[in-house]
Amino acid sequence: MIDRTIQPTIYETKKPIIIKPVSSQLNNDIPVHFLQAGTQEVTRLEFIFEAGLWNEDKPLQAVLTNAMLQEGSANYSGAQIAEIFDFRGAYIQFVADHHLGTISLISLNKHLPYLLPIVEDLIKRPSFDANEFETLAKRRKQRFLLENEKVKVLCQKKFSEVLFGKSHPYSHTVSADDFDRLTCSDLADFYQRSYHAENCQIMASGNMDVSLLKLLNKHFGDLNWRGVKQLQQKRTIQQLQEKQLRVVKNDAIQSAIRVGRLMVKKDHPDYIGLQVLNTVLGGYFSSRLMMNIREEKGYTYGIGSSVMSLNEAGYFVIATETDKKYVEATVTEIFLELKKLREELIPEAELSRVCQYLLGEFVRDFDGPFAQAQSFRAVNDFGLGYEFYEQYYQLLRAIKPEDLQLLAQKYFDEDDFYTVIAGA
Amino acid sequence: MVKFYREQLENGLQLIIYPDYSTPMVALDVCYHVGAKNESPERTGFAHLFEHLMFGGTKNIPNYDDALQQAGGENNAYTTNDLTNYYLTVPKENLEIGFWLESDRMLELDFSQEKLDIQKNVVIEEFKQRNLNQPYGDVWPLLRELAYKVHPYQWQTIGKDISHIEDASLQEVEDFFYRFYAPDNAALILSGNVDREECLHLANKWFGSIPSRNVKKAAIPLEPEQANFREMTVERDVPDTALYMAFHMAGRTQREYYICDLISDVLSNGNSSRMYQRLIKEQKLFIELDAYLSGDHDPGLFIVSGKLAKGVTIEQAKKAVWTELENMQQELVPTIELEKVKNKLEANLVYSQMNYLHMAQELANFENIDRAERINEQIDIYRSVASADLMITAQKIFSESNCSQLNYLAKK
Repeated sequence: MIDRTIQPTIYETKKPIIIKPVSSQLNNDIPVHFLQAGTQEVTRLEFIFEAGLWNEDKPLQAVLTNAMLQEGSANYSGAQIAEIFDFRGAYIQFVADHHLGTISLISLNKHLPYLLPIVEDLIKRPSFDANEFETLAKRRKQRFLLENEKVKVLCQKKFSEVLFGKSHPYSHTVSADDFDRLTCSDLADFYQRSYHAENCQIMASGNMDVSLLKLLNKHFGDLNWRGVKQLQQKRTIQQLQEKQLRVVKNDAIQSAIRVGRLMVKKDHPDYIGLQVLNTVLGGYFSSRLMMNIREEKGYTYGIGSSVMSLNEAGYFVIATETDKKYVEATVTEIFLELKKLREELIPEAELSRVCQYLLGEFVRDFDGPFAQAQSFRAVNDFGLGYEFYEQYYQLLRAIKPEDLQLLAQKYFDEDDFYTVIAGA
Repeated sequence: MVKFYREQLENGLQLIIYPDYSTPMVALDVCYHVGAKNESPERTGFAHLFEHLMFGGTKNIPNYDDALQQAGGENNAYTTNDLTNYYLTVPKENLEIGFWLESDRMLELDFSQEKLDIQKNVVIEEFKQRNLNQPYGDVWPLLRELAYKVHPYQWQTIGKDISHIEDASLQEVEDFFYRFYAPDNAALILSGNVDREECLHLANKWFGSIPSRNVKKAAIPLEPEQANFREMTVERDVPDTALYMAFHMAGRTQREYYICDLISDVLSNGNSSRMYQRLIKEQKLFIELDAYLSGDHDPGLFIVSGKLAKGVTIEQAKKAVWTELENMQQELVPTIELEKVKNKLEANLVYSQMNYLHMAQELANFENIDRAERINEQIDIYRSVASADLMITAQKIFSESNCSQLNYLAKK
């Protein structure tokens, strides 16, 4: 009989094999990053434009301009575009976030020569048809109203408004009326400014075909496709003075809770240590918040914390949903956990477990061509290089409880935290 | 072709090994052949409650997560009406930790009243978060109860009534474990950077000594054929009125299942599909509309569900859906349109092979239906389906007497 009380040897997780992209340029200087990896004959292409919320002069411009690209172009109707991608079993996605507007495509390699002409047309010659726009805006508005029924959405909105101020692009201050106010010509304006070669980068990943560069040049390397590079506008953060806020949603059975503060950006020397500290507190299943508030007290189905990095700011947030009768106790426990991190050293065993766990996550971040590409962008989009990952790896193996206590004292001061509760 | 190996241990445990050397990771997946359908109607939600209790530790390993995280691992689980699936991923060097952890959970859990009470509370909060505090959160319990009168698919995995969880006793929980959690009622799937011989050796070492528990499952009652149209109307505080229509259809082992899958794809898979183009974009009757299969292993449901555009009535919406369904019954789907949905299925198969964990879960799912080998038979079945098959099946299942309709009205 084997002795089941003896744990098999645990080996330290090896550093992942990091595949760096080969960077090149199209004839018109559009940067292209080729990340060659994987075994299946599949390619993912991302056409990335500086066309995010940051550059809007009206709410919803970025998201709806991006979404309208799939609704028709000079040579293809929206229905035809959908038909062609579906016929080739390819997926095309349109996403706009705080800084970027992205069109991404996943396809079997063999279909790319048939799909890129359509991608070219929808990016370069969108039609912004008024009828299509009306339908889209109506549907998005209905979806928006549905989302606004959820306490976690209401809570997150108020939370970002508190951190950044109402007029800052990082706070989500869209109202239902904005969907009615926006016109096709607002989209066309935004499009003219944002979607052109000067504002574009391309990321290609997968087990790519050798002819891909040639194909991209054919469709996107045109010297006549130009524009003026967007200048990053300055935006000022205006934090609210009041530290405790409530959003009332009648009949909500559970309340959503957000506790957090502004924090350093990704290029700050404390950033990596804060990631480790965050993991201890609420960044994995066995975190202190989960153990205390879910596993010991049973107040919630889940609670977690994260360090969020955006290009122009960073913030820290603890998020959960709980029955309203547990709200007060939950908030008290959250602050007790922060206090514990300031006042007590994290036991060596716990820290080692967290670092081992993060090493495993580190390997997952580089597992497969799309993950590799994602990890490239996770530094490149922030103006950082691969040395970030080397530092990350070294720090995971060297960080001490004392280092984390110092960080907790520096960043987990109760007076700096905002508490937002949405519910009945 | 998905190349994998099958072995069987003496205690009945099925072993499935799928090597994929493009990843440095391995997935270890244990599929227990017990889902919400195996519960007694008076004691529902147990399979899912177990998903929570399984992380409470064993006598030999008090803290499951501690060792796994030390090994750079991650884990999770899910419960469906047909199965309960536990999976973990670790860097390949630490594969044996996975065997150690999972085999000990199969051998014996460390039950206690305290652990049970806490997990009951967590599940109750989960129930509130998912079912009560979400707009449209009670749609599935309502629709299931309308469509099923006999078969246990009438309740959701979280349970028919939350009091079943509140009242669960420690003895009942222990009985449930020894009744269903056993090597002869499970499959162990390994995928990723694994070696066949090593897996077999480790499986024998860690799982080989767990006794077979001669699992005998009660026969699950068959849902009788529906004879009359069923309709239910509720009013809720939600922003949009929604319409749900469910039709009984064949189970996972039947050819009809695949035909239905293709019908649902023609109707609503992708932005070029019929319902999206006609009912959402052209006629603007819906803001969302989908046709899909419940995916259950026993005979399940073909579901059409949609949220209505403002100002559209249930009658108008219903009529428009029926026009599309009748169209499927009266006219052959053009070859090129059928080819489109088949192409998509084939491409999806290639995409899914880029993910070792997904493959482990797929193999687990097919093994639960009856045998993992089915994974390689899918594409041939889909390819063999012709437009005439779609028409005949549409005629069979899309009848008013086979339909359960839920009208979910937005309160004014």
